[in-house]
Parts: sequence; C-alpha cells; structure tokens
Amino acid sequence: MSTVNNAVMIKGNKYGIIVVLSPDEKFDTLKKLVADKFKESSKFFENAKMAISFEGRNLTNEEQREILDIIEENTDMHIVCVIDNDKEKEELFRKTLEQKLMELENNTGQFYKGILRSGASLEFETSVVIIGDVNNGARVVSKGNIIVLGSLKGTAFAGATGNTNSFVVALDMRPTQIRIADSIARSPDKPIKEASKETKIAFLEDGNIYIEPLNKSVLQDINL
Amino acid sequence: MGEVIVVTSGKGGVGKTTSTANIGTGLAMLEKKVVLIDTDIGLRNLDVVMGLENRIVYNLVDVIEGNCRIRNALIKDKRYPNLYLLPSAQTRDKTSVNPEQMSKLCDELKEEFDYILMDCPAGIEQGFKNAIAGADRALVVTTPEVSAVRDADRIIGLLEANEVDQTHLIVNRLRMDMVKRGDMMSSEDVCEILAVDLIGVVPDDENIVISTNQGEPLVGSDTMAGRAYMNICRRIVGEDVPFLDLNEKNNIFSKLFGKRRKY
Repeated sequence: MSTVNNAVMIKGNKYGIIVVLSPDEKFDTLKKLVADKFKESSKFFENAKMAISFEGRNLTNEEQREILDIIEENTDMHIVCVIDNDKEKEELFRKTLEQKLMELENNTGQFYKGILRSGASLEFETSVVIIGDVNNGARVVSKGNIIVLGSLKGTAFAGATGNTNSFVVALDMRPTQIRIADSIARSPDKPIKEASKETKIAFLEDGNIYIEPLNKSVLQDINL
Repeated sequence: MGEVIVVTSGKGGVGKTTSTANIGTGLAMLEKKVVLIDTDIGLRNLDVVMGLENRIVYNLVDVIEGNCRIRNALIKDKRYPNLYLLPSAQTRDKTSVNPEQMSKLCDELKEEFDYILMDCPAGIEQGFKNAIAGADRALVVTTPEVSAVRDADRIIGLLEANEVDQTHLIVNRLRMDMVKRGDMMSSEDVCEILAVDLIGVVPDDENIVISTNQGEPLVGSDTMAGRAYMNICRRIVGEDVPFLDLNEKNNIFSKLFGKRRKY
C-alpha cells in the first residue's frame, strides 16, 4: 500500500507545484492516483493560478497533456504553464524573474503627496517619491528607492526585499532610522546642529550606510 | 446652525481643559451662544475650572442614556447667561458612550447653539473617538516640547483620517525668554513641524494657575494669557486679529517683576 500512496506526491516550490510521479507504476494507475490526490486537495488549491512541473518520471507530451486534463477536471485551479524539470533552466528562470522584479522596483515608481505624520506607515512595491514631510514616528517602506521632497524625520526602509542598490534621498535629511536592504543606521544620539538644510542621499556600500550631500560624483555612482 | 469644535492634544497636561474654559467664556463674551461639553468621562474637571462643580445634577451619560433631557443637564454659567456646560460623569468610564451617540447629541445642540466646544480627554482611544465624532473643526493644543509636539502630530493625522477638515494649532505655555536663549522651540518651529495653521500662542502665565484654582476663566482680563485667549476667540469668530507681540511685553514684564516674584 505504501508504495501506491507514494506513487504520486505533490510538492510546492516558490513558483508553483511539483508533481512527483513514481517511475515504477503503470501510467493508467498513476492517472487514477493523480485524480484522487487532486480531488483530495482541491479545496486547498481553490482557484489558484500556478505553474506546474513534473518529477520522477519522463513523460511524453501525450501523457503530460492527459495528466493536466485530469488536474483541471478535479480541481478549480488554473495551470498557467508547465516548467521543464531542469535545474539549469530553473535557475535561469529564477534569475531572470528576480532581476526583472528588481529592475521594476528600482526603475518604476509612484508619487505620494501629503505629510506622513506620527503613526502613519506606508509601504510601496516600487520606488516612491513623497511630496511632503515624513515626520517623526512615521515610516516609509519601499522595495526600491525612496525620495522625500521635504524633510525626512521618521524611518525610511529602502530595498525592503534586499536590493542593496537602493537609496534614500531627502531635501532635509534628519531620519530617526534608515534601513537599506539588511543594514540599519540610526541617528546620532546628540543631534548635530547644522547651519543649513541640504539635500542628502543615503546609500549602502560594503554593508555600511553612508549619508552624503547629493552632488555630481555621488549621482554618477547611482545604479538603477 | 452651530459649529462643533473639539479641543484636543493627545498628550495630557498641555492645557486642553484650560483652553476650552477660556475660549468658551471668550466666545460667550463676544455674545455667542456657547455650550461646553466635558467628554473626559471618569476624570471630569472642566466643571472645576469653570467653578460650576457644585451645580451638577445630571451629566453627559445621563443625557446619552435618556435619564434626563439635554435641557436638564445643561448648567448655566455664573457670569454669562449665554454660556452653558454639559458636565461629564465621574462614576462611569469612556465606554458608557459611543461616537454615534455623541455625533447625534452634537447635531441636536447645533440647532440651538452657535458654538459647541468639546473638551477631549488625553489619549487616542475611545474617549478621543467620542469627542471628535461630531466635530466640524479641531483646535489642537500643544506646548513647545518635543513630546507634546510628537503627540500633536499623531492627533492631526488621526483627525485627517477621520475627516475633521479644519485643524488649527494653539501653542500653549510659551516662554519667550527660553525661546530667545534657544532652549525652547518657538511657535514658528512648532508650526513648521506640524504644518497646520496657527490660531494662537498663549504665553506661560502664572495667572492661569490662579484663575484655574479660583474657577474663573481669565479670558479678556488684562493679562498676557487673557489677551491671547481673547484673540483666539476673535479669530474663531472670523476676525482678522494680528498676533500678540509676546516678545516685547514679556520682556518689560520680566524686567520689572520677573526676577523678584519668582522665588
């Protein structure tokens, strides 16, 4: 019995599900087992959209199609694509996908107009330009860059998903805390009394966050 | 149709109740029909500051629960016949009332009064939500201290989120001598941080303590704080009043009396 039970297994990965099929069973038995297995878990998947890949057995195109039909019959889920089970290819897909996402986070952005007051917390999937102040006790989180056209006194978290190229720019840079990717910098305990407000940029280099006046040479070093 | 104004701050002890009493009295002096509502259920003291504690029979919770009519619970002021107080209950807590009930009460009072001033409790919980429920306008009181300004910022954010459209700022207990030495934020500094319009600056004045203890608001009297509160009232009514020059007067004042009187 145990071999029969293990003949079809469903595993999940980041991008969808993997169906592991035993190479030892007859294809007809497998089809029935696949049907049972997916019927059991159809509640769990509901009408999810996902990619699927097969492991454990080499399937012909015909066989693959048959199994896909069985899955669609027994559940409400939509199979968006079939991914070949190939480590190299998977790695390539992953890389391009993540690179594309990261580009999107850094290169696309949105505007937010208004003052972020104490207790406010805003999160953005892309880069963001805030037209207004970020007051003490407020928080901005972005997967890309953060630009504040006003004074930044609260907490800013750029590159929230780990993009170390992200940066934070503010016309008046007096943050409580700045985080970029995995690094955190906090304001000095004794405030430095500055003569003038100056546009500054905070960026990550060798695991340290640096805050510098925004000038031409710094601008040239920005990687999007 | 009257206007409901909530006096709030977030932080405690910055002068909400004192401001409510003085502004309410000042508006009554300008011949407006005014009612003050103490929404700090369980910690009432607007009645004490107004010197009306001994007249309380019914309170806010009695009105909300229908134990009496609004008319029965309103206390007429000692000095101004067009000024009324609706005191809070001392033996109950904030959960005795909900925002819908408050906003209904405000709508009823609007029919009869020109101004309804709500004295808001400190904090951002139920009491605060009750107080702002029916408000058309808010006066945010803060002192020039970072903690008070921080809380005021949070409060302004919450007022915006609750669609109280007009928000004005009162900077209370300002000491010009300290501002000059650079030891205290100026009203301009506070305004820059909070980015809302200033409606008045009230200097730190020991007469306030005296007037509070006596239960007689000092608005309109010939003291710095009295003049400052009167100006705020004028601005609420819509007059264009220039800001007091605290600087000059306070200086003369402190030169003449300040040093000797203090200790």
